[in-house]
Amino acid sequence: MTTTFLNHELKAFWRSKNTGKSIAIRVIMGVLILYLLINMLVLGFFLNEILKKVFPHDDVVVSFCGIILLYFLVDLFMRLQLQELPTLRVQPYLQLPVKRNSLVRYLALTALFSVFNLWPFILFVPFIVRIIASDSGSLAALAFIVSLAGLTIFNNYFALYLKRKSNLNGWIFLIAAALIIIAGLGDFYWHFYSIRKISYLFFGHLIGHPVLALIPVGLGVIMYYLNFAYLKQNLYLEELGSRKAAKYKSSTEYPLLSRFGSVGDLAANEIKLILRNKRSRSALIMGLFFMFYGLIFYTNHIYGEGWKVFVGMFMTGIFIINYGQFMFSWQASHFDGLLVNKINFTDFLKAKYLLFTIVSTGFFLLTTPYVYFGWRVLLIHFVMFLWNIGVNTTMVLFFANRNYKRIDLSKGAAFNWEGVSGNQWILSLPLLVTPYIIYGPFALLGHADAGIAILGITGAVFILTRGFWIKQLEADFYTKRYKIAEGFRNK
Amino acid sequence: MIEIKDLKKIYSGVTVVNVPHLEIRKGESVGLVGNNGAGKTTLFRTILDLIRPESGEVLLNGENVAGHENWKNYTASYLDEGFLIDYLTPEEYFYFIGGLHQLSRAHVDDYLSGMADFFNGEILKKGKYIRDLSKGNQCKVGVVSCLLQNPELLMLDEPFANIDPSTQFRLKSLLKDLNKSKGVTTLISSHDLNHITDVCDRILLMEKGKIIKDIATNSSTLNELEEYFGVGQIIGTPAVKVDEEENH
Repeated sequence: MTTTFLNHELKAFWRSKNTGKSIAIRVIMGVLILYLLINMLVLGFFLNEILKKVFPHDDVVVSFCGIILLYFLVDLFMRLQLQELPTLRVQPYLQLPVKRNSLVRYLALTALFSVFNLWPFILFVPFIVRIIASDSGSLAALAFIVSLAGLTIFNNYFALYLKRKSNLNGWIFLIAAALIIIAGLGDFYWHFYSIRKISYLFFGHLIGHPVLALIPVGLGVIMYYLNFAYLKQNLYLEELGSRKAAKYKSSTEYPLLSRFGSVGDLAANEIKLILRNKRSRSALIMGLFFMFYGLIFYTNHIYGEGWKVFVGMFMTGIFIINYGQFMFSWQASHFDGLLVNKINFTDFLKAKYLLFTIVSTGFFLLTTPYVYFGWRVLLIHFVMFLWNIGVNTTMVLFFANRNYKRIDLSKGAAFNWEGVSGNQWILSLPLLVTPYIIYGPFALLGHADAGIAILGITGAVFILTRGFWIKQLEADFYTKRYKIAEGFRNK
Repeated sequence: MIEIKDLKKIYSGVTVVNVPHLEIRKGESVGLVGNNGAGKTTLFRTILDLIRPESGEVLLNGENVAGHENWKNYTASYLDEGFLIDYLTPEEYFYFIGGLHQLSRAHVDDYLSGMADFFNGEILKKGKYIRDLSKGNQCKVGVVSCLLQNPELLMLDEPFANIDPSTQFRLKSLLKDLNKSKGVTTLISSHDLNHITDVCDRILLMEKGKIIKDIATNSSTLNELEEYFGVGQIIGTPAVKVDEEENH
């Protein structure tokens, strides 16, 4: 059965409207991953020397045992942001004589095909083979490797479990990420405890008692079954849950927006879209998560001012990046309706600008407490806010004209998730890089102020010339509208 | 009202719509029939400028639909649920559509109160988003949103397909009334030959993208159509043929 599913998935990939784009993204991802793996391999081989340099007073084995748990904590955090959920459109199989278990097993097994599961082995196995095996015997080395496998599986399924949960409720992601950050801060900032000591407590004993390796394996197995059970239960809920009597849905109005006429009406509709659909709502709530980015970067002095530009752009513009990269797709299910109704495309675009401006302003206001780290931080945030609603908005809409992939908002999110994953980050690369192309040269030559000023001016100029950009985007749209509409009709 | 010239739409080598010439005058009520894949929906979509034809053009009131938007002012259409904004409540959707045509909320409310019969108490103030409605009820929302726009040209794709029998009769009388007393040009497709011959004065029969028959409705039209669609079957006498080999 698993091979049939794999076969169907491959067909879905090759026969999709966006195949060309997906392949390009995959190639870029592949190159990046290869580069990272090579880095990891080098790190793994020199881990011995690196550990000696970093912790000159400790025994190498002690410091090695210390960093393992730390690694897995960081790993979990990275997975939460980057790991993709394996997807399968389960609906067509549910009424067929296909066992629920084999559907779930497929989803659970394919989840293991992730580079995240390779990294710990590449990083740690060379050290284990060279040092642990020769010092304490091959049994201890085997125990280490088995423990690594257990923890990797645990992390794998734990991250997926959290991600699945947060599809239904974005707050879960926020809370999980905040807890991991607090756990880190508790060690390195507040010094309540030492994660390295806890890690050594376990791995140090592992050398003497290889049987202990069964504990991480047990954890991994438990997590696998938890994930399995959750998926299976949801497979059921997906079908029955959607028909459950929901609470009364009332009509809402945004009087402030109705002042803008039909542009306001369109923006109001889109706000309703965001708030009334799980997936788009998660995109908004995830945006709140990025409000913590400042805490990570500003509390640490190794991050220079270049990072502030980055963090400022992220915090004030995350919604534009996150929601904007699926632009127009959100409205795929009623795009035909938008086309035949008496809607001016200029108004349609203006509504997008209005929406982005409103949300970005909200996020900018939320970042004002960072003034605690100095007025300059606030200034940079403001400049990046201008940049976001000026330049990034226009760029996002430019890419929107090139997006032909349908998103079905009415489908449950648990099995249909393409939100924050590595692939999407690639798409936002141009958005992330452009400010540096302007700011970077100035900063390198020691005129950071001028760089920031130019970023601000560019943003402001783009805002003032919006009318011009709207015309360009409209002309561009008219050459692509049939293709977009056809792609959106393609379920 | 509608003029089609040399219209051709080709999907991967297969011509799905091929209409050399078609003219529909103002005030006509036209029904479009044909089996699945005959090209009815594709024809509708080309008229509404949703797909780009390989060649030819569609003129509404003498103006090419492609590249112009003027026709949107007097054309209302409902082809499928893809025309509805499904995360809105029906009321919000009606206000939105009304707003596009400069109708005030009071005006929309007033119009909707006149539709109470048609809605049969299942649409308004039910506390549901459009996506939570059944297909038939979604169709009602789509049809009423068309009527709300007070169009000169009304296009509906299989409006009778998902709605209950009572609503079908109400819709028929609504459509007849619009056409006869308000002079609205209507273009409707359906698989229900009884309904379509009842509502429309002119029937276009499509097969493999071509309009093969263009008939003014009269008392024999229904028989003519049934003859065409009942390919190789004798209508009214079910073929009960005893298999002699089996009946030894």
